[in-house]
Amino acid sequence: MVEVKDLKKKYGNKIAVGGVSFTVKKGEIFGILGPNGAGKTTTLEMLEALRTIDSGSATINGVDIASNPDKIRSLIGVQPQTPSFEEKTKLTELIEFFAATYGEKVDAKAVLEDVQLLDKANSYPEQLSGGQRQRFSIAAAMVHKPKVFFLDEPTTGLDPQARRNLWDLIRQVRDRGVSVVMTTHYMDEAEMLCDRIAVMDNGKIVALDTPENLIKLLLKKGFNKPQHIQQANLEDVFIDLTGKELRD
Amino acid sequence: MKNFRRALRPVIVFAKIDTRRLFRDRIAIFFTFLFPMLFLFIFGGIFGRPSTVSFDIAVINESRSEFASGFAKSAKEGSIFTVSEEITTRLQAEEALSRSQIDAAIVLPEDFGAVSAGQQNPGGQARVLYSLNNQQTAQAIIPVIQGMFEGTNEDIIGERKTPFSVVGESINKEGLSNFDYLFAGLIGFSILGMGLFGPTNVFPRMKQRGILRRYHTTSLKVWQFVAGNIISNSVAALLSVTFMIAVALAVPFFDIHLNGNVIELALFIVLGAIVIFGFGLAIGGWAKNENQAAPLSNMVSFPMMFLSGTFFPRFLMPEWLQTVSEFIPLTPFIDGVRMIMVEGRHLIEIGPQIGMLAVWGLVIYTIAFRVFRWE
Repeated sequence: MVEVKDLKKKYGNKIAVGGVSFTVKKGEIFGILGPNGAGKTTTLEMLEALRTIDSGSATINGVDIASNPDKIRSLIGVQPQTPSFEEKTKLTELIEFFAATYGEKVDAKAVLEDVQLLDKANSYPEQLSGGQRQRFSIAAAMVHKPKVFFLDEPTTGLDPQARRNLWDLIRQVRDRGVSVVMTTHYMDEAEMLCDRIAVMDNGKIVALDTPENLIKLLLKKGFNKPQHIQQANLEDVFIDLTGKELRD
Repeated sequence: MKNFRRALRPVIVFAKIDTRRLFRDRIAIFFTFLFPMLFLFIFGGIFGRPSTVSFDIAVINESRSEFASGFAKSAKEGSIFTVSEEITTRLQAEEALSRSQIDAAIVLPEDFGAVSAGQQNPGGQARVLYSLNNQQTAQAIIPVIQGMFEGTNEDIIGERKTPFSVVGESINKEGLSNFDYLFAGLIGFSILGMGLFGPTNVFPRMKQRGILRRYHTTSLKVWQFVAGNIISNSVAALLSVTFMIAVALAVPFFDIHLNGNVIELALFIVLGAIVIFGFGLAIGGWAKNENQAAPLSNMVSFPMMFLSGTFFPRFLMPEWLQTVSEFIPLTPFIDGVRMIMVEGRHLIEIGPQIGMLAVWGLVIYTIAFRVFRWE
């Protein structure tokens, strides 16, 4: 679905992305990990047709991004790091507007119901909690049934309940056959959610595989850390104490 | 055709939502409806009264003659002069003049109205005191007094008609008030406020919050976003102006006149609103943040505010400035509004104003589309 070959981007003299290649299959969740400044966001922005591509090639569904940015925009949905919407605008109106940008008409209430926000249909985005806003942002990004869905650090700043709820939503999106490309700083999130992972550092991909294989590979090298044989961690305790119920 | 309708959908949907937003936002309501009211009442309060020419003067009567006190009395009774009761000496008068409390002081000297030796009738010379600030007023007062004396002269000497005379006759059947002239300027000011300060504040803020960047990831085109904004801004402009005119007509004190065709006025206001919005769009569309937008929007708005005849009429400016200010985009708008509204002219008669606006529109939108940035 997404094919990237030797993608490069320079800002002045600084190499932001120094030749990355990967493919994302239909209906998988592909995670891009890496420390700040590794080039994750720049890579994502080039694929979203927000940044020009210096060299290399990238296609989505066979369409070249650099030469058809307009066509690409109708194939992708984007969830920014901090979703922000115009104020004093009802959620239904925003959904109608986002659909209209693709020349489409949708049943805004049905779209909101999909992300459990029907009761907020007449609210303004500034009245939503962080988790609700993330859910709304996903709904807005999916109005035109895109083939690829990009998310930039979607769970930063969310409480454990909202995080889990978002994971469920992202899995639902994948199960509809959409390819999901996301960046994250949370390793547990990558491990539980992503089908495959690319680890970036200094503008290059240093490893690319499933989370299980990456862990196996490390263990094979003889890595070991002091083992705590515990069947639960603190987050499990937290969820056990406060429940999985979503809080808003 | 189908594609075109599809391309128009985001424009219409955005315009609808944006117009609804206007009524949900207290700050927007204030700037659209109440802010212009503030100016309407301030300037209407200053210039609203129907104008009759009147001068504030003092009469210093140093003479004891019957003729002098008769003149002082008739000056008080007439409608042309408002005579100060407190100022009775030359010294007081000079002080009041220097403070511009009065326009002039008429001094009737000691020998005024006395019959001098060898003469049959009383005579004398009145003096009009004025300061340099009030030269023009004083020069207008002198012939008025001259006229009063001539009447008296005739009474004393007997019926004697002057062979040549002149009588004034007003050609303005409608009788324009002072405020009619300024009202068009206030409409211009309100359009300027919405079209310029709106987008130069809102767009950079939307960029900083990443809202425009999010729009850029959709299929929304710049022209669609701009067209949607133009429509909602024009609707807001029409609502604001309608409200202003309705209030101004409802308050008899303002004494304004709506003589032209309302549809033509509305069309012309939309044209002006679109052109002025182009300036806001160029600045707000270019600026990455409010710090970049603010100085530019001030630079553009100041000449429009002070030289286009918003707050004071252009005919009071020196000639060279009148010529220069003719080319400021708000000038043809304010002139056009006045011509349609007050003089009852038709669109076809204000070609130069429409032409000037169209040229500015073309120029500014060309620039605006070139410099527009989504983030």
